[in-house]
Amino acid sequence: MNLVIDGPTRERLDSVRAIGESQIRPVGIEADRLGRPVPPDHPFFEMLVKVGLGRTRWDGKAEADRAAASSSSGASTPKLGASRGQLAVAEETSYWDRGVAVAFPGPGLGDPPISSMGTPDQKERFLGRFLNPDRPMWGSFAMTEPGAGSDVAGIQTTAHKDGDSWILHGAKSFAAHASRAEWIVVWATVDRSLGRDGHRAFVVERGTPGLGDFVVERKMGLKAYESTSFTLSDCRVPSANLLGGEDYYARKAGFKGAMKSFNATRPLVAAMAVGIGRAALDSAVVFARENDLLGQVRVRDRLERTRRRLRAARLLCWRAAWLADYGRPNILEASMSKAFAPSVAFEAASLGMELLGEVGGRGDHLIEKLFRDVKAMDIVEGTGQIQRVVMARQLVRLPRD
Amino acid sequence: MIDFDLGDELELLRSTAQQFAADHLRPALRDHESARQISQPAHAAFAEIGFAALECPESLGGSALGSLARCLMMEELAAADPGAALALDRLGAALYPIAEMGGDEALERFARPVLDTPDTRAALVWCGEGARAQTLRSGDRISGFVPWVPSDRVDLLLLLDERGCSIVHENIRCESLRGGGLRAAGAAELHLDDAPVAAHLEGEAAAGRALARARLYVTALLVGVMRESAEFSRQYALDRVAFGRPIAHHQGLAFLIADMATAVDAARVLLWEAAVRRDDAQANGLATHEQAAEAAATAFAEAAEQSLFVTPNGVQILGGHGFMQDYPVEKMMREARSLSLLLGGVDLAREHAARDLVVHEGPVALTLEAPP
Ligand SMILES: Cc1cc2nc3c(=O)[nH]c(=O)nc-3n(C[C@H](O)[C@H](O)[C@H](O)COP(=O)(O)OP(=O)(O)OC[C@H]3O[C@@H](n4cnc5c(N)ncnc54)[C@H](O)[C@@H]3O)c2cc1C
Repeated sequence: MNLVIDGPTRERLDSVRAIGESQIRPVGIEADRLGRPVPPDHPFFEMLVKVGLGRTRWDGKAEADRAAASSSSGASTPKLGASRGQLAVAEETSYWDRGVAVAFPGPGLGDPPISSMGTPDQKERFLGRFLNPDRPMWGSFAMTEPGAGSDVAGIQTTAHKDGDSWILHGAKSFAAHASRAEWIVVWATVDRSLGRDGHRAFVVERGTPGLGDFVVERKMGLKAYESTSFTLSDCRVPSANLLGGEDYYARKAGFKGAMKSFNATRPLVAAMAVGIGRAALDSAVVFARENDLLGQVRVRDRLERTRRRLRAARLLCWRAAWLADYGRPNILEASMSKAFAPSVAFEAASLGMELLGEVGGRGDHLIEKLFRDVKAMDIVEGTGQIQRVVMARQLVRLPRD
Repeated sequence: MIDFDLGDELELLRSTAQQFAADHLRPALRDHESARQISQPAHAAFAEIGFAALECPESLGGSALGSLARCLMMEELAAADPGAALALDRLGAALYPIAEMGGDEALERFARPVLDTPDTRAALVWCGEGARAQTLRSGDRISGFVPWVPSDRVDLLLLLDERGCSIVHENIRCESLRGGGLRAAGAAELHLDDAPVAAHLEGEAAAGRALARARLYVTALLVGVMRESAEFSRQYALDRVAFGRPIAHHQGLAFLIADMATAVDAARVLLWEAAVRRDDAQANGLATHEQAAEAAATAFAEAAEQSLFVTPNGVQILGGHGFMQDYPVEKMMREARSLSLLLGGVDLAREHAARDLVVHEGPVALTLEAPP
């Protein structure tokens, strides 16, 4: 057992720290003040692309994928061993600003479904441009609808085959980056009565007629990235954009495809929560020290508990990522980390506010911003309740109805 | 890199402890509790496997294993019966002050007789800040009162505080108590009337290390008890039917069961981290002993809090049956509460865990990072 972050990972963290205080955090605070997402042409994004960020995790080896596809399994094996490094970086970036961390250019949540479900051609078409981008670009992922969030099986957006294309119709909510995205991975149903088996994922490209009505939502926090609702009105999408192709769904892998990508991201989102919580804790300790509060047992106790819970949350995230790195099942552990970390991080921010006292009421302290930002972590990518549902399926075979 | 793999040696140790618990402790749970002692075959098997001297140096016939090994073993034993674990491990946490402050010579003089003489028991009592024990030492004599130790007899008594430790092995008067939890280990109050102090060992740093190791020991017991409470009640909730389905399938309980699993794991990862830090501090300097001590106090506080969430809910999930002694969950609740009273209790652990928050400026470190 080894519970020390190794040298190479530490170096990656140092490189995040190098721009954390000088850039990531100020850009986040600026977006929060101005109440708008960081605009796509912000010089910060240009800088990120210049230093090699904003890329896909897909390795770009379409030929290898083709060979794998024509052989038995069809799916390319994900890179093993990468989860822990990714986790560390996600936490550290969120420590400086979680909204900005999400705002980073790149294929975003669209990356995992395309690289795990996409055909070699689709990977090339949609992820290829993210291999070595020369400008900031985004991808988007739209599952949630006005009437269906947690209950993903209940999505209402329809897909009808029409010749060599599909017609999509419906509305999507809160999708990150949607209005600026090169493409959006949109989930729709071919037959509502089929539930999950009727689900299909499409890559809808920017400018496709019928894709529109973008509304950038006004949020309590995490203002640095856009959460955008939009509609699809008889939006015609070429068959070649059906993610994975018809065969993929004949194998009934559609919904599982979406859920598999969430298993991988749950510990990441949990780690981001830890990052926010840690920022709140650090700031709270500084405030407590400057205001001579550390002499009070009550204050020390609560700071200690907060640090302890954050530490436990972090270890639970690491454990889930470690399992993933060895290709071992981690559904329970991934959901556990995601069920635990957001509430712990919320506690950290809330305690920070309490120590600030009326200073926290002013609305201009970092902790006050973190307090608003952190709440989303218990909602996105499976609410805390949904994580418990997932855990209970593993622990007590909770039925799905 | 961060890795939770225990490795073959520790996995083997863990499964050996698990098997021992299944064979000797679990079936005799209530017998051991009411008899306030452990069956002779269990004692013999425990000695045979070499559990008692797990952390002792080879000169003492031990295996010189570290804290992580000890924690894994104690968790397994405590999952069956923490009182029995204390009764079987007759030297127990009393090893630590002797080893940390006295060295090999003291181990030979004080630890060996306990290890070698069946039926003897050692006890470690916290006498520092926040202690309920009252002792007064003048020169090489000591008087005082200890309100409770989980044992019916004490042949070797270690009175530990922030600065050092007094060792007493004569004139220890034990008066039996009914005991709240951990009755398989016995329960007594101790009186010292001008008892001779066999040795007084000084050293703040060493006393801190001893306390930290003792905290790991008790924390492992807490993790074991709460794990079993969570596991037992989970199984029960699958079998028990109410309103037409297993009670586990009512969301109120399903979520509670999920949260209990999380609580156990949160405590366990902190325990492991603290044990690994201690072993690292000892072996390769990847952590300092101060970091290890802070981590041990942190793990103790977490295990205490989480066990007081898990074990009463273990009872709750069984409803009225949980309250009855036909089921083990009520015992687990009592034992979790009793364990977390030891070593100065949870408040002192919180205080010690918080120490470096007060002292160290700069970002709060959650995990150690390799130096550049
Ligand atoms: C900042 C932000 C960014 C987002 N980004 C994206 C994005 O990029 N792409 C995207 O597709 N979506 C995105 N979302 C949407 C997010 O995934 C959903 O909001 C989330 O899944 C919850 O769905 P809902 O809002 O419809 O709430 P509902 O599903 O209506 O849930 C309401 C409440 O009911 C509870 N609940 C629901 N079902 C159960 C159950 N079975 N048992 C117990 N309790 C239950 C929930 O936990 C919640 O407390 C984003 C949301 C936010 C806040």
